[in-house]
Amino acid sequence: MRFENSGSPENPATKNATAVEVCDLSHRYRVGDRTVTAIDGVNLLVDDGEFVAVVGPSGCGKTTLLRAVAGLLTPSSGRVRVLGKTSRSARQDRALGLVTQDPGLLPWLNVAANVQLTLDITGRGADADKRVSELLERVGIGQFAAYVPGQLSGGMRQRVALARALAHRPRLLLMDEPFGALDELSREEMRLELLRVWEDERTSVVFVTHSIREAVLLADRVVVMNGRPGRVTAEVTIDLERPRSALLEDKPHYQELVSRVRNLLFAEPVPSNASGQVALGD
Amino acid sequence: MATEIPGPQTQRNVLGGQTFGNILMIAVPLFAAALLLGVWEVWVRLADVKEYLVPAPSAVFVALSDEPGRYANAARLSLTAALGGLAAASLFAFILAVAMAHSRMLERALYPPALALKVTPIVAVAPLFTIWFGFGLAPKVLIAAMITFFPMLVNTVVGLRSVDPSAHDFLRSLDASRWQVFWRLRVPSSLPYVFAGLRIAVPLSLIGAVVAEFLSGSAGMGQLILVSNGDFDTPALFGAVFVLAALGILLTVSVALVERKVLFWHDSSAGV
Ligand SMILES: Nc1ncnc2c1ncn2[C@@H]1O[C@H](COP(=O)(O)OP(=O)(O)O)[C@@H](O)[C@H]1O
Ligand SMILES: [Mg+2]
Repeated sequence: MRFENSGSPENPATKNATAVEVCDLSHRYRVGDRTVTAIDGVNLLVDDGEFVAVVGPSGCGKTTLLRAVAGLLTPSSGRVRVLGKTSRSARQDRALGLVTQDPGLLPWLNVAANVQLTLDITGRGADADKRVSELLERVGIGQFAAYVPGQLSGGMRQRVALARALAHRPRLLLMDEPFGALDELSREEMRLELLRVWEDERTSVVFVTHSIREAVLLADRVVVMNGRPGRVTAEVTIDLERPRSALLEDKPHYQELVSRVRNLLFAEPVPSNASGQVALGD
Repeated sequence: MATEIPGPQTQRNVLGGQTFGNILMIAVPLFAAALLLGVWEVWVRLADVKEYLVPAPSAVFVALSDEPGRYANAARLSLTAALGGLAAASLFAFILAVAMAHSRMLERALYPPALALKVTPIVAVAPLFTIWFGFGLAPKVLIAAMITFFPMLVNTVVGLRSVDPSAHDFLRSLDASRWQVFWRLRVPSSLPYVFAGLRIAVPLSLIGAVVAEFLSGSAGMGQLILVSNGDFDTPALFGAVFVLAALGILLTVSVALVERKVLFWHDSSAGV
């Protein structure tokens, strides 16, 4: 297999646990009487407190990988450990937060109640009012607590989705193209918002996107996925200092990293069993 | 932030500004009804139509005001039967729908008997129910329940299945129990469909009650129609029809108002 060994420096002095450990993960969907192999032999390590972005073209299995980590699907083969446990028991510990492209808010609950719901379900209701308003302030929608989702813009709905996914202080935040449905300006704004929020909360993050610039701006490490079935083909450590801001995008080193990821994503021939149907050339 | 933001308050102001629109919403249909009755009155008088064929609206109102207690009592009985039947059917449909939404196997098993119930003509079973349960409320409630059960069942099943997958994934990521997913997500998601079912079922429930009374002769609007017809008292018969029409409109509007309150978050709740 051709990916730079994803074994990030396992230094017991600095890191005490691994947030995510995916080994040789494969998943096949059954479609009628055929099967579609979505991912094949994927490895992924996310250190505790690390922000990892997964980039790759549509259909390379990013969502499949993330759902397997969240325990929302049972992979055909391979091993998934989350915070040293199965994803199921990590979920039972209420250690997961999930934000998806379609925010999936409950339209009959107002913004505050949507966030409150997380605290109710996870049984972390103590001081709930304070936590809810604190979170809404932090994601910049404090004045909208009494609104229902139908009255909000797409960007504001994603802020609510972020707030409710963080409400119970999960140790691992899983985000699947959270800004994918937003217009370019809201996207830009939400990236910076996420940077600020993450700097405060410091959970481990797996952030799926198909935007290279977004991945480089946000992450400590960018994992490149490619092919059908999808595999991890490369990874790039993003050694940009934090806290980061929009100004970063003018720095030569940022641009250098962006083009490095882009080259890895497009220029490199895709390792695939199904040779001949590779169409990812630039 | 100092900027003016549109929000719930503004929304309320907009609704307040619709007061004139609301008055029009009521005034226009009332005016249309009055116009219709006026044309009818003039036609009957000018063409000298026989009263036992088509009475003038004024004659109908005379019949109504002669015995208001009789109509009120009959209306009360029919309404009780209709709403009782509808409530029983909705409750039973909900319980069955939960089972059917839960398992395709159960759905397959339960669908044929539900369909059989739907296609059974109520005129065939009404006399039977009278034999079994007598002339009281019970057979009427049963008929009203029978006729409203199917639309409630089908809509509730579809509603309970119409859950936003992203919301479902999110709740699962929190390790929400089945019970929490059911009450906090599934049931509220089903409400737009349940109300769509109610809009169909409410008028049906009234029809069911009246048909049951008509066939069994037990007291209510159906019996009133039956008796007036036997007496060739056409104005009284038309009076009963007027009362039934008014009841039907009243029920439909009530459901629409409740729907608008409950489904404030859903875009289907705009229309009456
Ligand atoms: N529920 C499903 N049933 C069948 N095939 C699926 C399903 N979900 C995804 N796939 C297939 O698996 C592959 C990977 O999909 P996905 O994980 O959604 O990729 P990505 O998120 O990178 O766009 C695609 O070929 C897609 O068609
Ligand atoms: Mg996807």
